[in-house]
Amino acid sequence: MEPIKTEIVVLGAGPGGYTAAFYAADRGKTVTLVEQNPRLGGICLNCGCIPSKALLHATEILREAKDSAARGIEFVAPKIDLDKLRAWKESILEKLGQGIKGLAQKRGVQVIHGRGHFEDSRTLRVETTEGQKFVSYDKAIIAVGSKPAMPSAFDLGNKRIMTSTEALEIQDIPNDLLVVGGGYIGMELGTVYADLGSNVVVLEAMPSILTGVDPDLVRPVSRAAQKAFKEIRVNTKVLKMATAGKQIKVTMEIDKQQREELYDRVLVSVGRAPNYADLGLENTRVTKDDKGFIKCNPQQQTDDPDIYAIGDVNGGTLLAHRASKEGRIAVEAMLGEASAFENIVIPAVVYTRPAVAWCGLTETEAKQKNIDIKVAKFLWGASGRALTLDRTDGLTKLIIEPDTERILGVGIAGVNAGELIAEGVLAVEMGATARDIADSVHPHPTLSETLMEAAEVFYGTATHTLAARRESA
Amino acid sequence: MDVKLPRLAEGVDSGVVVSILVSEGQEIKKDQPFIELETQKAVGSIPSPESGTVSKIHVKEGMEIAVGQLLISISTDKDSAVAKPVMGEQTGVQTPVERPAQTRSAPSPTGFEATSTPQAENYRYESKSGATPPAAPSIRKMAADLGIDLTRVKGSESGGRIVLADVRAYIQRLQQRSFEEAKEHPETGRSATTAIPSEPVDFAKWGPIRRERLSPLRRTVSRRMVESWTTIPKINQFDDADITDLLALRKKYAAAFEKKGSRLTLTTFLLKVIAAGLQKHPRANASIDESNNEIIYKDYYHIGVAVDTEGGLIVPVLRDVDKKNLFDLAKELHGLTEKTRQRKASLEELQGGTFTISNQGSIGSGHFTPIIYAPQVAILGVGQGQPKPIVVKENIAIRTMLPLCLAYDHRVLDGADAVRFLKEIITGLESFPEAQVKLK
Repeated sequence: MEPIKTEIVVLGAGPGGYTAAFYAADRGKTVTLVEQNPRLGGICLNCGCIPSKALLHATEILREAKDSAARGIEFVAPKIDLDKLRAWKESILEKLGQGIKGLAQKRGVQVIHGRGHFEDSRTLRVETTEGQKFVSYDKAIIAVGSKPAMPSAFDLGNKRIMTSTEALEIQDIPNDLLVVGGGYIGMELGTVYADLGSNVVVLEAMPSILTGVDPDLVRPVSRAAQKAFKEIRVNTKVLKMATAGKQIKVTMEIDKQQREELYDRVLVSVGRAPNYADLGLENTRVTKDDKGFIKCNPQQQTDDPDIYAIGDVNGGTLLAHRASKEGRIAVEAMLGEASAFENIVIPAVVYTRPAVAWCGLTETEAKQKNIDIKVAKFLWGASGRALTLDRTDGLTKLIIEPDTERILGVGIAGVNAGELIAEGVLAVEMGATARDIADSVHPHPTLSETLMEAAEVFYGTATHTLAARRESA
Repeated sequence: MDVKLPRLAEGVDSGVVVSILVSEGQEIKKDQPFIELETQKAVGSIPSPESGTVSKIHVKEGMEIAVGQLLISISTDKDSAVAKPVMGEQTGVQTPVERPAQTRSAPSPTGFEATSTPQAENYRYESKSGATPPAAPSIRKMAADLGIDLTRVKGSESGGRIVLADVRAYIQRLQQRSFEEAKEHPETGRSATTAIPSEPVDFAKWGPIRRERLSPLRRTVSRRMVESWTTIPKINQFDDADITDLLALRKKYAAAFEKKGSRLTLTTFLLKVIAAGLQKHPRANASIDESNNEIIYKDYYHIGVAVDTEGGLIVPVLRDVDKKNLFDLAKELHGLTEKTRQRKASLEELQGGTFTISNQGSIGSGHFTPIIYAPQVAILGVGQGQPKPIVVKENIAIRTMLPLCLAYDHRVLDGADAVRFLKEIITGLESFPEAQVKLK
């Protein structure tokens, strides 16, 4: 059979893959996009960012309604129709999936549905429902993403032990739900189930939930989760799980004491693993790093000069928007431009209640690397907008280089932190100083003012807080 | 449209024009090669990004050019539909200058207006937190495309932020300076710091002579060798390895290797032994970064093998030698050597070496002192194994002795380190485990 000839083949149609494919097509290349799932969009669209945020939005109403009683507006107990909720969520995914498909068609990107396998450094075999197809390419981009890690000790084949993928389907509302792993996935999905009425217990092996995030940003989240969840147990390890009738018997270790508990469902959210099994990488010169992720240079090029890799398969922070940026860099590198994934600010957002978002240098990182910084912090208790929203559980902080007053990083905890961090990203990317932010007028009353006020805190001139005046300012 | 030199590969930011394949007024098709360029040690062609007519060629054969430099102008159908530019009078295009030898990045031709931002001569951005110079992403991208190092550009905005005007001023200053230097040294067109060629001698006075132009490859080799010779304080460490047993081992398995389409050469053994030695002596695999007072250790072992080609010396690199078995190495070495002889090795295959072997055994060499391939810090020169009378256990025996010379950079390696490393290589050759040679 005659192979399909293409300049660029992209393997995987997630936010990294389809962005790279579309961008390459926009820059005049012939592009073939290979995706094994019938719906384009990858993990992000099908069982990640989008469905989880849909559910978080839907269930937040439940929480808001409860909180509303204290403000003099009471609702009757809500009725939850899981089938309808699921169908609504599904309709969003379908709309977005169709959208991507339409955009691919309009750009002339050829989409092949099937599993890709590298035959050699220039040929990809695709197993489709209509049999094998061969794609002969000049350059390839691997964008196959990652999947939830499931330690074999927990993998009993019992459907009550779920990963995020199954948890997003909300088969039922379990009475008692155990979340193993207090990272962002566990905390977000724990929030959904807690809102729906489950008694949620989160187990975390490390001393804190959201490991790696600055402790002052985590604090409002822990405080709120301790109220919304049944319990958060840190420094706790799961030793064993076993089927016990319609429940799961979980053996855990807390303070060197073993304890057994029964749960209706367990969500395992202990990390993610790269998806390159059966990809035929052994037939290419692609190599992996010591953590098992694909190794590539700042141009996203692997050790095989014709093959690039972007997104979760490369490890690091597993974020959709990082994959998209890497996809653009890979395409530009192929076009001979001097693009590289260097000094690029990748914001992170955790959609807990309250949300947490940060970008650039964090306080934790500065401490680890022994970088001298000044931190300017504004607590939301003094924000008029936060008070009107009845959400004063937040803070905004700027990480500042002392001599130059340049903003190196921004951290926000609080409602809408994910939207607010965009200004932080722009500030860090543009090399803005605290003075630049302080002197830019922010609309009143909004939460965005907290960035301006934090900058003013740095100079000791914040309107709504009293702080020691900076001597040199 | 103006066609500039694209980014070629990692670490390659300049090259020498070997030949120009088009002429002004000629039709050119998209992807048609128009210039042959020699970068470091590979020759490659640059394809045209568009179809059209070549309206102007901005470079000459033999000219050294850098990434971002204007190569040719093409008038495309699109151009002519709008406004056909008069040949040679396109706005903003000036003849590029040959770059001064001391600057890493060439000034790009510009049509920018003069601005008055003052630029300190030796300005360098420094941040205690290790941050890169403050500049918008668009400015950083532009600098990368032009090959401009932003740490050298002084920003004029608040907090030292670099804006477009600062980059313009910087480029103009570079260009102005390079013109001035060309005026000061019209005979070379280069800056004063470059070595002045010796007085011309009329050799014809003493007999007939013949002149041959240096090929770009010859010039590249020459430049790199002078660079190495003048910057590296070098020591040559001589020794011999008894390869009698190793040769027996090779003889035993040579046929089996041949059968499977591979060739078991002495260099293959050397690769394996050296990779093991480098792992134990990481400094021999390192590089020096004098501007930051740092040694850069490399946790990979990519070994270059000097290949004698018709055009001259070329050094292709075998990657991750420590991770490959003898059979794969032998096969790869054979393939890569052949490719290099045909000048078909890609740029990537000539880069990233951490150590080099120069084996002159096949030509019958004895001891010789190889020149270090900077920025590497050591090279092993290998001569031809010769039967020699050697004292073994109080008796004289005839053993095949391999002349070796390890040349190394004394800034990074001390004598004792180097001797230990060389001894490690010798022991490796003298007791090469048969298990590694056996084919499965």
